[in-house]
Amino acid sequence: MTRSQRTAAFIASRLASVVLTIAGATLLLFLMVRLVPGDFTSVMLGPRATPELRAQITHDMGLDRSMVEQLWLFASRAATGNFGEDVVSHRPILDIVLDVIPNTLALAFSALALALVVGIPIGVIAALKPGSWLDSGLALLSISFITTPTLVVSVILFLIFAIGLHWLPVAGAGNPGDIMDRLRHLILPSVALALGWVGYISRLVRAALLDTLAELHVRTLRAYGVSEYRIVGLYALKLALVPVVSILGIGLGDLIGSSVVVEIIFARSGIGSLIFNSIAQRNYPVVQACVVFIVAFYIVANLVVDMINALLDPRIAVGRG
Amino acid sequence: MAISLRNLSVDYSLPQGTAHALRGVSLDIEKGELLGLVGESGSGKSTVAFALMGLLANNAKVTSGTATIDGKSFDLTKRNATAALRGRGMAMIFQDPMMSLNPVFTIGTQLCEVLRRRSPGSDRKARVGMAEDALDKVKLSNPRRRMNQYPHELSGGMRQRVVIAMALLSEPALLIADEPTTALDVTVEAQIMREIIGLRDRIGCAVLLITHSLGLVTEYCDRLSVLYAGERLESGTVRQVQRQPGHPYTRMLFDCEVPIDRERQADASENRFTVISGDLPDPRRRPPGCIFNGRCDVSFDDCAVINPGDYPVGNEAEHRARCLRLATP
Repeated sequence: MTRSQRTAAFIASRLASVVLTIAGATLLLFLMVRLVPGDFTSVMLGPRATPELRAQITHDMGLDRSMVEQLWLFASRAATGNFGEDVVSHRPILDIVLDVIPNTLALAFSALALALVVGIPIGVIAALKPGSWLDSGLALLSISFITTPTLVVSVILFLIFAIGLHWLPVAGAGNPGDIMDRLRHLILPSVALALGWVGYISRLVRAALLDTLAELHVRTLRAYGVSEYRIVGLYALKLALVPVVSILGIGLGDLIGSSVVVEIIFARSGIGSLIFNSIAQRNYPVVQACVVFIVAFYIVANLVVDMINALLDPRIAVGRG
Repeated sequence: MAISLRNLSVDYSLPQGTAHALRGVSLDIEKGELLGLVGESGSGKSTVAFALMGLLANNAKVTSGTATIDGKSFDLTKRNATAALRGRGMAMIFQDPMMSLNPVFTIGTQLCEVLRRRSPGSDRKARVGMAEDALDKVKLSNPRRRMNQYPHELSGGMRQRVVIAMALLSEPALLIADEPTTALDVTVEAQIMREIIGLRDRIGCAVLLITHSLGLVTEYCDRLSVLYAGERLESGTVRQVQRQPGHPYTRMLFDCEVPIDRERQADASENRFTVISGDLPDPRRRPPGCIFNGRCDVSFDDCAVINPGDYPVGNEAEHRARCLRLATP
């Protein structure tokens, strides 16, 4: 097989596993959502609702059917993109989720981009002179970024830049038609979300770079007079990014999880705040739809991560890695 | 004199104390000449190479030494003294070709990187052409295809050819080959040595061949120096040393080579090979007298006391060895 054929086979096998993973995750989530105590009717309608109304709502949500029937109904509809109608707003659940997803994706990707753009150079600088005061200072900075919870970072940023200095808007996702306004609303939440990842990425890049710099091929480049900056910033970095990118795939789940906190503090609409509110209401169908989207996003993100790694390291696509 | 190395001493600081890896080693290599530097593991052969290149580990320190390369002198005790020569005046071929190329860049990219430094004025297209040409010269089949391949797609021998092509592109005055065939199949050894000699003939550089194999040296080198426990014990032309080893250590090294026509016993465990008994002396505390005294089969009382000078062997000026038996009373 040629390299392009091998790459095609690699991607095909990965796509097949994507479908299986989404199906498995959906089943697991369907069962787990039902473990949350309390039910929708008593939370939504309050203790004085009539039994008839309760029965009506329960029937509308399909909760009076057997578990197997519910699962089949959910899965067969979800497969065609139909997640049913929300009993609260009477809108299709798919529309509700699709409405908020762009906000969350914008937040997650801007945070990720920020973390990479800031984290990688910090890691490279730290690895240039290991053990120097600069390295130690950056280590302290990175570790304090990692250990400060997103919740605390969000509140501090919020208090300083939104409430105290009035530099940036306090809440919301901004005026839908106004790109600049939306970007201004994005700054604080994405910084809050990215900060921990700046720390993680810089530590990872530093460690992976130092490992790579000890390898013999680096000595070859040095022997042929290649400058240390080109060695660290190009030849060693490309190799060192492979483990970093792998961890990013797993980390994206954490990023979506943390976005729940950030979206609530900054009162942004997004999939995080939608899940939070739906769980509070025991609105299972909405929670289920949200989680299906998150799982799909997570899996696709990991597929992309694997493809990026195959591009970075040609040995991976061959199927040995 | 194209290349000369004078009085090189290197210390390694280790948790157990300071190890003196090299003590006052001097070498001379003429242009177009192959000098074999022979010694057993731990004798400091590779330290000579890395001290010249300025690529010693961080715990190593050059305490004395001057290198003269193409008429310019370099004080090796200064860090990165020869940095300006890397990839220009000096090039190196390494022991482990499987590890000496970056796995995530193509052969072509790595060859062109050498040219970025060697011929800074050239454009990309010219560099690619020169790199392809170099691959062709080291007899790598299908050079155009190789340029776009990654190291893992090539065998060990092919990768070593790529490194030789790198050396070729950098057109050095001194080429250091540190055990270039040790990690390769015996069948490839002769081919790789032929390419190194071909490179020497093409650019007329001096070659320092570092090896533990006397066979390799006697077959390919013009002259040889014998290193033992960080000290040079003998030097001369290969013919001189082969005919009349001046130092007992050199003679014992030759005795350790297994002649191809030696009679073999049916039971392999019955075969007897010559070995040099004993171990290298402690590199932290040099014993007084001759460094080889503890393992020598012809030592006498003075050997434990007097550190021998570098005496001529026979009537030939170039052939010298550090053995008291050669001292004229």
